[in-house]
Amino acid sequence: MQDGHLVQLDSVRKSFGDNLVLDDIDLSIDRGAAIVVAGPSGSGKSTMLRCINGLESIESGTIRFDGRPVKSSGREIYGIRAQIGMVFQQFNLFPHMTVLQNITLAPLEVGDAGREPSERRARDLLERVGIPEKAGDYPADLSGGQQQRVAIARALAVEPKLMLFDEPTSALDPEMIREVLDVMRDLAREGMTMIVVTHEMGFAREVCDRIVFIDEGQIVEQGTPDEFFNHTQSERAKEFVDKIIHH
Amino acid sequence: MSGLWEVLTEHLPEFSSGFFVTFRLVAISFVIAMVVGTLVAAMRVAPVRWLNVVGGVYVEFFRNIPLLVLLIIAFAGLRRAGVPINGWVAGIGSLGLYTASYIAEALRSGVFAVGRGQIDAALSLGLSYPRTLRRIVLPQAFRTVIPALASLIIAMIKNSAIVGASIVALPDLLKESRQVQAETFQTNEVFFWAAVGYLVLTLTATLAFRYFESRFQIRR
Repeated sequence: MQDGHLVQLDSVRKSFGDNLVLDDIDLSIDRGAAIVVAGPSGSGKSTMLRCINGLESIESGTIRFDGRPVKSSGREIYGIRAQIGMVFQQFNLFPHMTVLQNITLAPLEVGDAGREPSERRARDLLERVGIPEKAGDYPADLSGGQQQRVAIARALAVEPKLMLFDEPTSALDPEMIREVLDVMRDLAREGMTMIVVTHEMGFAREVCDRIVFIDEGQIVEQGTPDEFFNHTQSERAKEFVDKIIHH
Repeated sequence: MSGLWEVLTEHLPEFSSGFFVTFRLVAISFVIAMVVGTLVAAMRVAPVRWLNVVGGVYVEFFRNIPLLVLLIIAFAGLRRAGVPINGWVAGIGSLGLYTASYIAEALRSGVFAVGRGQIDAALSLGLSYPRTLRRIVLPQAFRTVIPALASLIIAMIKNSAIVGASIVALPDLLKESRQVQAETFQTNEVFFWAAVGYLVLTLTATLAFRYFESRFQIRR
């Protein structure tokens, strides 16, 4: 019934001042696919994610989500964003709200769900990310790993069709990275469409369907984890794989 | 000549009536100042150019004219122009709108303390910009600027005496005290009690804000 890709980028360009951060990006993502976006820092990975849900505007090209054009201004973007969950490097939980309030905010403000079903669903989500006992706590009372798991639950509360992860483990202590990656792995296995910007190549190798390698605003190479790690094509990707795997 | 205590007991009706006039004046002005101040702050940070300009003009107008001049414009000026404004409206309007300009600026500084990531997170959940402002940005901005708001409200309570001393001449604590002083000539005793009356209001405000601060403080 809905054919075509869930996300489609055509010739997307974006610059900050004189600095071209996305240079003619073409990318399509199938429903149910888990994509890892890798590349050196400053290569435009995060910017690309932020363009997909309209947090950043693009200069030329088109982005389509579920067949609808994504524009960073206008009313339509609110409806599109409500179908895309996003998880940030710095968690960005709302510090003046409890964990439960963080998760029920969007269903109550954006959706038409009542308080009771929203809270029930929030508790289910907390169960799913493994911290049902934290519902009444404030974000400041949680560890980094717990905060990020709440952030994932918050993004899932609107029942998104797509999840964007912007370096979700980069701000975490090593011992907490595992617990967040486990939640993401489960999500991928359940068939959630997700785009993950990460340096966790173990996760990429094990979980994702496709790795997209970006450098200097261009997609240099993309392929399955096996193709990417074992049969790397481009010099730049080879260099990157060497650096990240052998250190 | 009667003593300090006798001055209070003999003129209790005047003192208490003046106290409650002042109380009413500052209570209503406080509500106006908070509501208008919040709206103006929201206008100044909205991503809409003309709203920024309107908010900016408001702040510069009300912050840069002495309260006493505002009171004269609001009362005598409007009457001269044929607007039948009464003393309460002129007094509350002037004091409330004047204080609102300071509150708007305090809140605006609080808005800047809320990280860009908070706005990104709210927008990414599908909240519109106005809702993001109302549910995420302003609640955090308020909590950040509670100490600054306390200072502004205390200043407002003290500024309320200007309303009684001005052409508007509401029978507030200061005005009633001057009346009693004119009858008794016991200047020190009378204004001792006037000072106590203002202290009751300012210290109550101080304690209330201290409570809000401990109750709503954000731990990050």
